[in-house]
Amino acid sequence: MQGAETVVTEGRTFPPLGPKTNSIQQVRYVCAIGAMHSASAIPWVIPITHCGPGCAEKQFGSLAMCNGFQGGGYGGGAVVPSTNISESEVVFGGENRLRELIRASLKILDAELFVVVTGCIPDLVGDDAGAVVREFQAEGVPVVLAETGGFKGTNFTGHELVTRAIIDQYVGEYAGGRTPGVVNVWSMLPYHNTFWQGDLSEIKRVLEGGGLKVNILFGHESEGVSEWKRIPQAQFNLVLSPWLGLRTAQHLEGKYGQPFLHLPIIPIGADETSSFLRKVVAFAGIDPSLAEEFIKKEERTYYHYLEGFGEFYSEYFWGMPAKFVVVGESAYNLALTRFLINDLGLMPGGQFITENPPEEYREAISREFRTIADDVVTHVAFEEDSYRIHTLIRQSDFGQKPPIILGTTWERDLAKEMRSAVVEVGFPASYEMVLSRTNVGYRGAIALLEKIYTTVVSGTA
Amino acid sequence: MRINLDTPVVESREQRLGTIIAWDGKASELSKQSEYARKSCASGCGEKGRRLCEMKGPFTQGSVCSEQMVECQAGHIRDAVLIQHSPIGCGAGQVIYNSIYRNGLAMRNLPVENLRLISTNLKEQDMVFGGVDKLEQSIRDAWERHHPKAIFIATSCATGIIGDDVDGSARKMEGELGIPVIPLHCEGFMSKHWSTGFDATQHGIMRQIVRKNPTKQEDLVNVINLWGTDVFTPMFKELNLRVNFVVDLATVEDLAQMSEAAATVGFCHTLSSYLAAGLEQEFGVPEIKAPQPYGFPGTDAWLRELAKVTHREELAEAYIAREHLRVAPRIAELRVLLKGKKGFVSTGSAYAHGIIAVLRELGVEVDGSLVFHHDPIYDSQDPRQDTLAHLVDNYGDVPSFSVSNRQQYQFYGLLQRVKPDFIIIRHNGLAPLASRLGIPAAPLGDEHHALGYQGIINLGETILEILSHKKFHEDLAAHVTLPYKKWWLDQGDPFLLVKGD
Ligand code: SF4
Repeated sequence: MQGAETVVTEGRTFPPLGPKTNSIQQVRYVCAIGAMHSASAIPWVIPITHCGPGCAEKQFGSLAMCNGFQGGGYGGGAVVPSTNISESEVVFGGENRLRELIRASLKILDAELFVVVTGCIPDLVGDDAGAVVREFQAEGVPVVLAETGGFKGTNFTGHELVTRAIIDQYVGEYAGGRTPGVVNVWSMLPYHNTFWQGDLSEIKRVLEGGGLKVNILFGHESEGVSEWKRIPQAQFNLVLSPWLGLRTAQHLEGKYGQPFLHLPIIPIGADETSSFLRKVVAFAGIDPSLAEEFIKKEERTYYHYLEGFGEFYSEYFWGMPAKFVVVGESAYNLALTRFLINDLGLMPGGQFITENPPEEYREAISREFRTIADDVVTHVAFEEDSYRIHTLIRQSDFGQKPPIILGTTWERDLAKEMRSAVVEVGFPASYEMVLSRTNVGYRGAIALLEKIYTTVVSGTA
Repeated sequence: MRINLDTPVVESREQRLGTIIAWDGKASELSKQSEYARKSCASGCGEKGRRLCEMKGPFTQGSVCSEQMVECQAGHIRDAVLIQHSPIGCGAGQVIYNSIYRNGLAMRNLPVENLRLISTNLKEQDMVFGGVDKLEQSIRDAWERHHPKAIFIATSCATGIIGDDVDGSARKMEGELGIPVIPLHCEGFMSKHWSTGFDATQHGIMRQIVRKNPTKQEDLVNVINLWGTDVFTPMFKELNLRVNFVVDLATVEDLAQMSEAAATVGFCHTLSSYLAAGLEQEFGVPEIKAPQPYGFPGTDAWLRELAKVTHREELAEAYIAREHLRVAPRIAELRVLLKGKKGFVSTGSAYAHGIIAVLRELGVEVDGSLVFHHDPIYDSQDPRQDTLAHLVDNYGDVPSFSVSNRQQYQFYGLLQRVKPDFIIIRHNGLAPLASRLGIPAAPLGDEHHALGYQGIINLGETILEILSHKKFHEDLAAHVTLPYKKWWLDQGDPFLLVKGD
């Protein structure tokens, strides 16, 4: 994908792409303070934001509302306290204001833990938010600080800052033993991944089916901070994503001597999910018979539905896409690409990784895509700017039929222009209503087939 | 107090109008306390030392910033590009305002498309060395990609603090590209209320887009609005007038020709105050000095004033008479259906005054309401635009009238005071709490829904629809836990903390 040619489609001309610039048109991730959602994703935890008046609302409106209409949950959305920094805190500093807000939050809000996150203003004017939070910690107040100044990173890296803050400042030291068969799961990014709730539930269900006890940590199936307190007691950590969570697992290894298993592929479909479960069970060293029994039962159901799908897939008259494009962050992108290539036999037409993963992980991510199948070549591009992504897609040759696009709201116009269809599977999914739906595991794979092919079929007549 | 277009930075609402964001009492009392502004300003002295008494407290929840309002104004001009000069976080708004833009275009029967906002994506090193090179790069990118008719630049908290010379870059790039490149100063921390963002956009448009040597179009009327359904074209046809919708969904040419219009109107003074007054002051386009077009007296007066300014009195009188007759039967029915129902309005300031009027026309009781801010006066300084006084004089007092910039923790107590059957909203954040208390909300995404004579019927029908949702909300309310402590929920006074306990 070079982007070197001029493209004319539907009467519009797209000049050849120059080199990448700083510009980002149509955002696909937000800043580190967006990880306030990683706090509110834990039951009974409420973030406190120390930032300008618009930051909290923007992150919420964007990640939680115009992305699957997920809602703010117990302690997110318009509940979130904010210092709403004004000129006087910019000039004189905002530490007193933060102190006052934390104190008032303790009075008004019912939370088991408060997570203070900072935006760009306090970082720029040099507030010592740490000193303020430490005062409260010294009084025994359950509050931690993650410095998430907007220009320092993305909501992905912010997520690991929030996670680490809770581990270091709240979970704390631990000297006891570890409980065999208990696993802490570090996987997709809450809220940013539109389907995180349903996906985490399915992952938990599968792991429990194999006989493991699961600390899922985020979402309503987590027990909240008491579960976090038990993190050090777990036998091991499971990092289920190409890179997100690795730093956390490495930190836990150093801090508690806790080993971790890194599986970059979030499983979709029976093959992938069964092999995933076998790997985790083997790592845990627990009796595999439970897992085998579970796999048998799950596969029976899975293939029952797949058989029904097979009738449609083999004899549907009105055409189906042969190629697909995925535009999304690396974890879902990899999982979906594998499923569509290996389980459905579709051909990849471009995989755009959009979350700006740290440099050190990029080669490993690319390798995962290269090794999906011997007989299929995938093209991976790390791109964050939608204008570039869309131009690259327009310049691709898809043969006789346009590809189906697994992407976001940003691809709606492009899909229309290409007479193709888009399935919104990631941030922002502003035209999807998502509550408990999942795309992963056994059940999610079936739901995903239903969604993709409903989209295809309903576009035909 | 004149609007000053000489400097690139707009004066904030609180500086110009004495805007407040926290107050509690009777509507009549707030109206009385706001009188000072009219008296002092009418005499030209602009007594800035006097202010409404404003409460301030330790607890605040996330509000909204001026930069967001710039996104939803300058970012919604169809042949322009808006550059967000900021770290990527401010860019989160692209998602929100894109969904509004798309659905707004659809509502107005315009081709649906994604908006064109570009973030300069500033990083840590830019905070040290400055970000103007990236700004200029993004402006060039915007030009290469879209060849827009104008490029707007929204500043951010970060660029305000590091002191980037945005005006200098804009001038330089304007020279290079030959189109207006317009800096909009809208750092979130610069104003306590987001409506300053409306003014910032309108300021930039008047300085750099509006035609300086207009050829008058005697039947053109500027309508300052957002994305709402086009209810104006049919209405104006009756008066032989044409509509020029601005700022949202307009083209740059629509904005340029504002100086050629015969008059300017709006659906809400909060939004239109600055632009309408500026167009009158700088280009002699009269602003219609009347109450807003809500309820019978408001709509009558508004139409008559518009007719007077555009010399179409006879047409207007005939239209008014016809419309009164047309809507009367259904309104009478709605009054029966809505008898005894209690409503609560929580929207922007001037808009709330209008909506409460419509509810009272429908016979709905309104014992309490909430506005997100209060302007004691608008930029025109004309008493005929005193929307709060119009409400109190024509429809009586609202006993519990609060100013609170979307603070959900206060909303609980406000609802307990008056126990409404439904609420009316225009910004998100409050309805979710009402829902968890079993109270349905009517979100007026289409801001024109309640406007004019037909608007009275529209709103009545919508209330009937949402009242039937009550089943859902009551069921939900029985099964949720609120994140507020019992101690706080038991407080009778939602303003306890702001008064200082
Ligand atoms: S950093 Fe400032 S401009 Fe950006 S969203 Fe936050 S308050 Fe608004």
